[in-house]
Amino acid sequence: MSTAKETDAAISLRGVRLENDRFVLGPISCDIPKGMVTAIVGPNGSGKSTLFRALLGLEPIPSGEAEVLGTSLVGARDDGYKSRIGFLAENPHAHENQSTADEKAIFASHWYPGWDWERYRKLMRHFDVDGGIRLAKMSKGMRRKAELAISMAHDPELLMLDEPSSGLDPFAWKTMLEELRRYMEPGDRTLVLATHIIEEIKRLADYILFIYRGKILGLYEKDRLLDDWRTIVVQSDYAPKGGSELLQRVPGFQGCEEAGAGVYRLDVDDPEQGEAYCRENGFRVLAVQRMELEDILSCLIRKEEAKR
Amino acid sequence: MWLPIRIDEQRPEPLYHQIEVQLRGLILGGQLKEGTLLPSIRELAVSLKCSAITVRRVYQDLESEGLIRTRQGTGTFVAGVEAVARDEHRLERAAEELEKAVDASLQLHCTLEEIETVFRQVLSKKTESRGGDPLDVDR
Repeated sequence: MSTAKETDAAISLRGVRLENDRFVLGPISCDIPKGMVTAIVGPNGSGKSTLFRALLGLEPIPSGEAEVLGTSLVGARDDGYKSRIGFLAENPHAHENQSTADEKAIFASHWYPGWDWERYRKLMRHFDVDGGIRLAKMSKGMRRKAELAISMAHDPELLMLDEPSSGLDPFAWKTMLEELRRYMEPGDRTLVLATHIIEEIKRLADYILFIYRGKILGLYEKDRLLDDWRTIVVQSDYAPKGGSELLQRVPGFQGCEEAGAGVYRLDVDDPEQGEAYCRENGFRVLAVQRMELEDILSCLIRKEEAKR
Repeated sequence: MWLPIRIDEQRPEPLYHQIEVQLRGLILGGQLKEGTLLPSIRELAVSLKCSAITVRRVYQDLESEGLIRTRQGTGTFVAGVEAVARDEHRLERAAEELEKAVDASLQLHCTLEEIETVFRQVLSKKTESRGGDPLDVDR
């Protein structure tokens, strides 16, 4: 499941488990590769935001090992790594409502040694936001853009965004995509974003981390996932009964659904072998299709549920 | 810059292969001239909705074939392509297209003799309609 060597990981987790009154996260283990875009994908309440809070040192990690930008988060630690991170929370902070965007930026500029006013102004201009307006007076999308500009103005090594596009109109969304692409351009920056927007994942992500009920379902290279996972539609004339058991043993089996008399939709992650197996066993192959990301996620969730 | 590369989601070939074949075609076919600056890896990944890993792999393959060059800090450029390579590519592409036609004919249960007869008929029809010169074909 791990896709990068430890030295190439921006975030490295080993058996991390934490628990609060509402939620159990983990145990999770994964390496989020440096210089890449990783999308965290999962249903609401999967633990995405808790994971972000843990990585920011806001939730204690009682068991396991966790390293962010080379700093261990377990036990006594040097908080300096936080100034090399940019973070956009899912929801705005109410205590900042009365500040203008520029006032929040001034506060942030003291916090981050890498703060760059020029970059901040450029981002605000590109996002078309007036920094003199109080955050509470801004529309949801406008505030989102202001907060995004502030989270990026110190050109952080690691940028973590929790549902960045919520509230953005399609034009602002395109601008955000452009700025995130520009941010990744040097090749040594790492972007981790939690998102439900499939188009965003397709455009930006190199890796996808599926998460569900506080557990990791898998960390996949996006294109390999989309290349490998296919739905094979097969038909059997003489074995409509018992056909399903035969199909359970197909190479790379991920799921199977009857779609009519003797017709099955078979999800596999090894389409070549899978197709050959179906033909050998007397099934006619009607179609082989790529799967959509959301279907792959539901398939992984069904498998996880079956284990419970 | 924008490249006329299209990914066909229904094709069985992996994404990197589809991109590589088309980009190689654009270079060997002469649509991308020597010295043309190609999009950055991240730029092309966003526009084709694939990962930077895939684009990097394509650029690495084409670089080792000598079709593109990367200059540190400035970007990736189209390299000079020899006329020989361009000719080879032309014939390869023609062979591929003919192969598709042959496959389609075989699916229609034609024999090889029938296919050959049809092929000769098509060629002579082309020759006639071009006033005896089969090479004078509109592109």
